[in-house]
Amino acid sequence: MLRPLIVSFREGVAYRAKGNLLWLLHRISGLGIVVFLGFHIFGMSMAAFNPALHERALELYKTPPFAIGELLLAFLLIFHAVNGTRIAILELRPQLWEKQELATRLSLIITALLTAPTLAIMAYKSISHFLAH
Amino acid sequence: MKITLKIKRFNPEVDKKPHWESYTVEVEPTDRVLDALHEVKWTQDGTLALRRSCAHGICGSDAMRINGRNMLACKALIKDVAKDGVITVEPILGLPVVKDLIVDMEPFFAHYRAIMPYLVNNDPPPERERLQSPEDRARYDDTTKCILCACCTTSCPSFWARGEYVGPAAIVQAHRFIFDSRDQAGEERLRILSEPDGVWRCRTVFNCTEACPRGIQVTKAIGEVKEALRTGVIR
Repeated sequence: MLRPLIVSFREGVAYRAKGNLLWLLHRISGLGIVVFLGFHIFGMSMAAFNPALHERALELYKTPPFAIGELLLAFLLIFHAVNGTRIAILELRPQLWEKQELATRLSLIITALLTAPTLAIMAYKSISHFLAH
Repeated sequence: MKITLKIKRFNPEVDKKPHWESYTVEVEPTDRVLDALHEVKWTQDGTLALRRSCAHGICGSDAMRINGRNMLACKALIKDVAKDGVITVEPILGLPVVKDLIVDMEPFFAHYRAIMPYLVNNDPPPERERLQSPEDRARYDDTTKCILCACCTTSCPSFWARGEYVGPAAIVQAHRFIFDSRDQAGEERLRILSEPDGVWRCRTVFNCTEACPRGIQVTKAIGEVKEALRTGVIR
């Protein structure tokens, strides 16, 4: 089951093309979000099945490595959403294929514009939390 | 000028896995990568295996990965691809390597045959040719340029992950007949392409469009086939 995933990542890294890099990042961000969701659902379900473990997980989420992970997650979410929208539009309107380089640039700019303030606010809140404790 | 060709070699009778070998050759900047490969094969190492036929970008035999990207060796100029005097050459991805730069193309051609790459028209043959307006002919002009070199299919992440995927080249060939006003098997081809290993495995990565040595708008053609499947209208 994992073979297609491993093969496509291995070949994806070996192949040098512009579109390929975006595809790789899209896949990595998608995988990252799925892994986070898995952890999140598991962690939340522990509130019902194992409250002590749930409390420990909440404490763990407040540590610096998880704060950095949250920043990374925010970037992956925004990139995946914006790039996914670009792909969906080009899928539905094949006539726009000539604009695909422009669309790629636009999606990267929108990702940067949305990511910068989000990460700034999150980083500010995390740093404030760590300084207060 | 002197350049170093780094070639990924693999001889299944001797090697367990592929390895790199370097060759220094004297070439002109306007020579092609194919000329440099010939220089290696004819003057340095006759065991190097590569496939080529017309050597002029028409037959599509010498598709390979040059500096990590699919190209035809006969169309890639040394001056365009040499980086600090070094060029890497590898076989295309996703197909079994037979020896060195030669891959087994049979899985690729099997997908090509699957989409019925021929005109189907069951009407009684006219006295002369089946006429078509210039507008109708222009509708599929772009996809008639395909030379079946496999540059597009073997640059596709979906094909790397699943060899059963019909691949961009077969979809381009299907497009060439689906949108031909004289053809009567468009719906049958669309049915074939709507199967799980058909057109929906395309992830709109655009590697195929970037790799096509004939400049075919491959992703657009695939998008038009998807659109025909979505709307049920061939136009």
